[in-house]
Amino acid sequence: MTKSVSTVDVIAQDEAETLADVGVQIRHDEPEVRSATYVLRDHLPLCVQTYREGLEMLPIAEALRRYDWLRERYFWKLISPDQDEVTRQVAAESEPQGYFIWVRQGTRITRPAQAGLFISHEGLAQKLHNVIVLEDNTELHLITGCTTGRAVRSGHHLAVNEAYVGANATLTMTMVHSWGPEVIVRPRAAVAVGDHSHYINNYVSLRPALDIQSNPRTYLNGVGATAKYMTVILGSRGSIIDTGGEVWLNGEDSGAELVHRGVCTGGKMYQRGFLVGNARCRAHVDCAGMLLDPGEDGFIESVPGLRSFHPEARMSHEASVGKVAPEQVEYLMSRGMEEHEAISMIIRGFLDADIEGLSAELDARIGEIAAMAGHGEHK
Amino acid sequence: MSSATGNILEIHDLHVEVGGKELLHGINLAIPEGQVHALMGPNGSGKTSLMMTIMGFSAYKVTRGQILFDGQDITGLSVTERARLGIAIAQQRPPTIAGVKLRAVLDYIVAHDSVSAEEIADLVRQARVEEFLDRDINAGLSGGEIKRAELVQLLATCPRFSMMDEPESGVDLDSLALVGSLVNRLFIRDSCRPVRRRSGLIVTHTGHILKYIEADRAHIMLDGRIACSGNPHLMLQTIAESGYAACVCCVVEGDGYDKVS
Repeated sequence: MTKSVSTVDVIAQDEAETLADVGVQIRHDEPEVRSATYVLRDHLPLCVQTYREGLEMLPIAEALRRYDWLRERYFWKLISPDQDEVTRQVAAESEPQGYFIWVRQGTRITRPAQAGLFISHEGLAQKLHNVIVLEDNTELHLITGCTTGRAVRSGHHLAVNEAYVGANATLTMTMVHSWGPEVIVRPRAAVAVGDHSHYINNYVSLRPALDIQSNPRTYLNGVGATAKYMTVILGSRGSIIDTGGEVWLNGEDSGAELVHRGVCTGGKMYQRGFLVGNARCRAHVDCAGMLLDPGEDGFIESVPGLRSFHPEARMSHEASVGKVAPEQVEYLMSRGMEEHEAISMIIRGFLDADIEGLSAELDARIGEIAAMAGHGEHK
Repeated sequence: MSSATGNILEIHDLHVEVGGKELLHGINLAIPEGQVHALMGPNGSGKTSLMMTIMGFSAYKVTRGQILFDGQDITGLSVTERARLGIAIAQQRPPTIAGVKLRAVLDYIVAHDSVSAEEIADLVRQARVEEFLDRDINAGLSGGEIKRAELVQLLATCPRFSMMDEPESGVDLDSLALVGSLVNRLFIRDSCRPVRRRSGLIVTHTGHILKYIEADRAHIMLDGRIACSGNPHLMLQTIAESGYAACVCCVVEGDGYDKVS
């Protein structure tokens, strides 16, 4: 466990509030609610704290110096530095930035760890490389909050995320993004999942950036491995948001469920979900979009896809795009709700539909999206 | 406080279009404060349209005429504004809304109205809607369940003027007694303002509901008009004996009793 000054001493109040909007809680009783905290402002790690035995969270550069095996076995092993322009730019950094998380064998952690990635200067480019290693029989929930300072309009967030989940382990990644209106966001993520392990990927975008591409790839390599993606996006005028992900079902009896819920209040929104069946498996993609007020050129494009290499791969997809029905809005108004309250409740329901066991964090963020969409604050 | 005329609801020469087609052709109707009226008539005669128009649903476009509530012209008001004045409706086929639970609507009412969480909990128990509190609102419910769910919401908001679209349709006999007692509770005594009965309008085909709630007056609608008005029991009896055909004759011959001009 690292011991140093408390996070509240190094993070200013206004920045703590901005981070709180994306699920990162900087507070005196942090160890009561979080198992570890890492905050990066621009290029500077402000704090790294871990509050649990068996869990390490370090700046990646320090971790690479400390553990030779990190470079040998995990660093750039799921994603190639030559994959595209984003990975090349991240690989070109002389000293990599980002975090390393290591959960040692047998460590099951109920309180979430948190990483806050924060751009405080106009036009700044963050280039990050994060690596997560969960050994066998472990469990971790990581909340990653990515955001810009309130006055910041533009910037670049480029990230390479590699995660390794051993056997009988569960990794839950909840990513909450809230960006300035001209920020370009390019995470490139890959996750490898072992025998009887589970990977849960939640992605929520509150304040949409100019341009987001986030389609993490999961390799379900282990027997009985599963993945569950939940993507909730609010799109607004002028933005291009391309989110979802793909899952490669390589292990026998692996399974995946990809759910995408998008509310479009302008801008271009692509909902993706791609399954590759390489073994006996079961998987389903479900994309649903609500076109609230697309403006002149806004749209939702749903792109669920299946590729099967195995006769016993049972895969399916569904997609739908619709609007908020006036009779539903007026039904709720007839109980005394204002129009925006009724729309919020319907959007909230649309986003919640079919999601069971939503974490409190995610639940709160989805409530915010619904309220914003209902109020028309996106305009 | 009621209007100078003592009418909680007054409708003058109301013409209403749905999808460009006129469905109501000059309705005149007055309901005094404290009275409950029944609305009868064959399918497609405009009963539901009249109620939906009074509530202010945007699909029902008023092209001429006026609706006064408690003396105030509400013809241009939104559904929300009308609801907050105390107008409420229990629809026959309310929409289902994916992900929106009956509980969420009741929670909203508790947060914004004077009703307490305990009172709602009692209501929920009495109306036997516990089991679908956490299901999508109105989804997969039987006729009787829909009525109970709608009535719980109405009872929670304590409306001054309640409209009900065929509260007995699709309800089995056991359930009818429960629905009837809930309807009765909505009207019989004003828990918000004691000693006065609250007002309303009930669409009924069979009149079964009138065993539970005494109507002061009934109106028969034919082809988008109120064809005649009178004593509810007498009118039900006539309809039971000879159907609405008798009403049609009556209107054609022009000797309908108590005919609205």
